[in-house]
Amino acid sequence: MSMLNPSAGSGAAGAVTALGGRSAVNETPRVAPWLLPLILVLGIFYLYPVFDVFRLAFMRATLLDNDGSYTLSTLINTLSRPELGQILWVTVVFTGASVIAQQALGLVIALVVVRGEDRKLFGTTIVRTTALIAWVVPGIAGGIIWKMLFNEAPFGGLNSILRMLGGSPVQWLSDPHIVMWSVVLSNVWRGTAFSMVVMYAALKAIDPVLYEAAAVDGATARQRLFYVTLPQLRSAILVNMILITIQTLNTFDAIISLTGGGPGRSTEVLSLYTFNAVFRNYDLSVGAVLSILMLVISLGLAIVYALFLPKEAKS
Amino acid sequence: MNAAHRDRIGDALTYLAMLVIFTFFAWPLLWLLSLALRTRREVFLGVSRFIPKNPTLENFAQILQSDKFLGYLVNALKLSCLSAIGCLIVALPAAYAFSRFEFKGKGAWMMALLSVQMISPLVIMVPLYRYMAAIGLTDTHFGATMVYIALAVPMVTWILKGSMDGIPKTLDEAAMIDGCNRFTAFFRVILPLSMPGIASAFIIAVITGWSQFLVPFLLIQKEALTPIAVGIFQYAGTQNDTSIQLLAAACLVSVVPAIIAFLSLQRLILGAMTAGAVKG
Repeated sequence: MSMLNPSAGSGAAGAVTALGGRSAVNETPRVAPWLLPLILVLGIFYLYPVFDVFRLAFMRATLLDNDGSYTLSTLINTLSRPELGQILWVTVVFTGASVIAQQALGLVIALVVVRGEDRKLFGTTIVRTTALIAWVVPGIAGGIIWKMLFNEAPFGGLNSILRMLGGSPVQWLSDPHIVMWSVVLSNVWRGTAFSMVVMYAALKAIDPVLYEAAAVDGATARQRLFYVTLPQLRSAILVNMILITIQTLNTFDAIISLTGGGPGRSTEVLSLYTFNAVFRNYDLSVGAVLSILMLVISLGLAIVYALFLPKEAKS
Repeated sequence: MNAAHRDRIGDALTYLAMLVIFTFFAWPLLWLLSLALRTRREVFLGVSRFIPKNPTLENFAQILQSDKFLGYLVNALKLSCLSAIGCLIVALPAAYAFSRFEFKGKGAWMMALLSVQMISPLVIMVPLYRYMAAIGLTDTHFGATMVYIALAVPMVTWILKGSMDGIPKTLDEAAMIDGCNRFTAFFRVILPLSMPGIASAFIIAVITGWSQFLVPFLLIQKEALTPIAVGIFQYAGTQNDTSIQLLAAACLVSVVPAIIAFLSLQRLILGAMTAGAVKG
């Protein structure tokens, strides 16, 4: 519907453009109607709410009402909560481990798939598709699936294999020292395909001449990997790691249905903590302060991302 | 000969790696399928009945016969399809503008779009709940759809822009010389040619909508309007170990539509994604 508006005024300008050849300058004022729907949607659903979050952070507000007075106490009280340090540490470990594992595994899978395709090996497509299927599994369902795998009852999909192989069962979700790695494992399962796709595309974009030159120089496979492939992938790896860091920071649905943040607080990441502040304790102001904390971290990463983006994509 | 020998060792190692990778990614879903096909007795026999001796579809029948679950599925389908259509309506003109027009601050706009994508939905949901409650849009599919659109539209715009970049600009110019204006050129020439990109953007938006949890969890309280992601979360909370085969069947039912949607256009979707990813 909103697309009909631009048509009304642009007929004349279009004709002028067609007759006059290149007249990109003439078109400048015509851009607005094309962008209007997008600007409206993002303005209403992102910009204004973000402003509101800042307002709420300085109020005493619950989910449905507030007394209208402004104060700094919520901000100070929230940021000086004793458990916040623990929450941030859990967030750093979860995000760091997930990102490193996803990046490394994604690169390995991409290398394997590319080699398999080059050599026309059977099953390359199956491997790639399987990884991608894990990726489209909704977060909540992913958490439930892994909860079944980690279960310590006989139907637990990991312990029953361990038992069959003669190993001793692992307390995947109830041992506070192991549970973090279980959560990371489930997140790596669901998230790696994204890194795989990015790495695969970057590998395909490497100029084959470089490999020919390396072959002429008598480089071994190992040398080709370390002196040609990895240096060529540097910017793709950087961009990918920033993107998956942000994705991982925002992940909480897969954790909420897997551990609910427990046992204790051992897997309660910042996004889950924020969720609990708002939806369990109905404390909107605290939730807003925590939201701002998340926003600051994400925007910081977004700026790093912008700085490292290849020049041609910016223009 | 030496090289051929090395190639063969390399192939063997590649096969080994592929087997490990396949097992890691497939095992959770195969296990889910195995549990969903078992009877209650066989569930407790663990991996020895990975292929059940008495496979049964009873669990699926029980899940799909309950009105509750069918309702969840229909709601999720409705929300994700409507929001994907809404996404296209909002994103297509913007993607065309980003692809075709030169204007001041275009790079900044594109970056802003990416930064928006990086904001956690949690941040905006708190104030959004208050607006929605104030104007009576909680417990409506319309309200939830609008938020779904906002959450997916930055990514969809990037994907569509990427696919339109692949269509030569001379086609627009030729159309306009033949008497089209900007709008009709967009509608009659560019839209049909970007169908592959539009189809993949649509499917990606549908899959994103299908997995939405936070938005419906917050905005929709009525069970009759609840989509599958929230439905399965609540269902899982009421189940215990004795009905794990039912939970497995329910979980599979919630996952399969997303997988089918993805597989239907796998090649196109990967192409559309990597077109954006390589450029950054």
